Amino acid sequence: MAIPEFQQYQLQFAGHIRNPAERPRPAGVSAKRMRVYTQIVFNNLESSVSACFPICRKILGARAWTRLVRQFLEQHQCASPLFRKIPEKFLEFLQTAQDLPPYLYSLAHYEWVELAVSVDDTQVDANHVDAEAELLDRQPVFAPAMALLRYDYPVHRISSRHRPVASSPVHLLVFRNVTDDVRFVELNPVTARLLELLKDTALSCREALAQVAGELDHPDPQAVLQFGEGILQDLRKQGAILGSKR
Amino acid sequence: MASISRIHGAGLGLKRELIPQLQASDGKSLVAAIEFLEIAPENWIGVGGRAGKNLAWLAERYPLAAHGLSLSLGGPDPLNETFLLQVRQFLDQYKIPLYSEHLSYCSDGGYLYDLLPIPFTEEAVHYVAARIRRTQDILERRIAVENASFYVSAPIAEMDELSFLKAVLEEADCDLHLDINNIYVNSINFGFDPHDFLRGIPGERIVYAHVAGHDQEAPDLVIDTHGQDVIDPVWALLEQAYARFGTFPTLLERDTNIPPLAELMHEVNYIAELQARFADGKSLAAG
Repeated sequence: MAIPEFQQYQLQFAGHIRNPAERPRPAGVSAKRMRVYTQIVFNNLESSVSACFPICRKILGARAWTRLVRQFLEQHQCASPLFRKIPEKFLEFLQTAQDLPPYLYSLAHYEWVELAVSVDDTQVDANHVDAEAELLDRQPVFAPAMALLRYDYPVHRISSRHRPVASSPVHLLVFRNVTDDVRFVELNPVTARLLELLKDTALSCREALAQVAGELDHPDPQAVLQFGEGILQDLRKQGAILGSKR
Repeated sequence: MASISRIHGAGLGLKRELIPQLQASDGKSLVAAIEFLEIAPENWIGVGGRAGKNLAWLAERYPLAAHGLSLSLGGPDPLNETFLLQVRQFLDQYKIPLYSEHLSYCSDGGYLYDLLPIPFTEEAVHYVAARIRRTQDILERRIAVENASFYVSAPIAEMDELSFLKAVLEEADCDLHLDINNIYVNSINFGFDPHDFLRGIPGERIVYAHVAGHDQEAPDLVIDTHGQDVIDPVWALLEQAYARFGTFPTLLERDTNIPPLAELMHEVNYIAELQARFADGKSLAAG
């Protein structure tokens, strides 16, 4: 079925807003008035994106950043009606963008995850959490808004003055604590593995630590257990672990 | 005039920047005139954490009205029914009795997050009206549709804005969310008399209104920024509307360049004052 005339007009109108340089505005429309739309749409999108990715913007510089957001508008069809998903859609776009520093996607993801964790609405049923019990022989309950991340670059240390020259993996735990503040904790690979096991399997802390000791081929599994228990207590104090599963 | 329970009097558009001030002013005379708050579902659906708790706190104290941004009633893409179901759940969760959307579009295969004008054609009337009806079916309630501000008139238009607005409201059988500032903005941008426009409005459909400020870019171009104080000609239009149609719940929109709450309250208080003045006034309302 042919597209009705008014919709052809609307598609052309929107197409021109996305790419004013290459897609003509509808015939007979005032250039001056059309510019109001091209500017408003771009500026609003740019401020939504920039608000979430201040470090990326600084790293690339204002001109390259503007060019990148312009490409985002030209090339990416954002599928979400929710405004707060704009940064997530920008991340999708970055995966396909060309000529960016190799660490930029990781950095952008790191900047985005703070927003994502701050508004994550995953709930945990308080009745299933025993905040008092010893952790070791049970499964821990993690803060419901949490992400366990591995980046190829030390994203948390990147700034315009400090740009990574080579890949160097880093593990980060990001979570929202009871006062709803987002916290980042850098993890060593062993702790990251422990948390991964506790998050993705039904192992108790003791079992997970035994498995980690086994994977490490550690000569003193008891030392791993003690070390691990200390770490878990510390994460509990910080609010990444709420308690044990009831 | 149709009525929407719980939403009455003067209201304020909720911005995150205002939340700490609203919390600090809880129960104080400063905010006494705020009878309701308005939120955009697109900014709050699925939001937890501190923001989610803030919304719950506000919802306990104020009736909420929902003013949508992304439904794209006039858009070429299929109506986003998945999103509408989320909206319905959100309205139920916060007991929101009023949902309004713009007579505009914001998508072309993807979302553009801004309001673009629908060409005023006969075909567009039928298309938009059908989508409003479908929306009302999914939400199982009437919705209100807002007259939008715009900057470009479509050369393919077959009628003026008022005829388009009336035709859509009639065919969709929906309520009207009257944006007073948008009447003014469009009257400057397209050179018509805003008072004539107002006189042509089907008053019996008005359930809700907005007033806002704007930026005057040129003598013949006003940008609807919601970034300035409401100007006198817009207040005069609101007065004219109250005098003609009776009062209706009216909200102050301020989206950019946001002053402290105490300053915004002058305008909210003024809305309440006008409403009191016209409360027993002349009304052509059908009831």
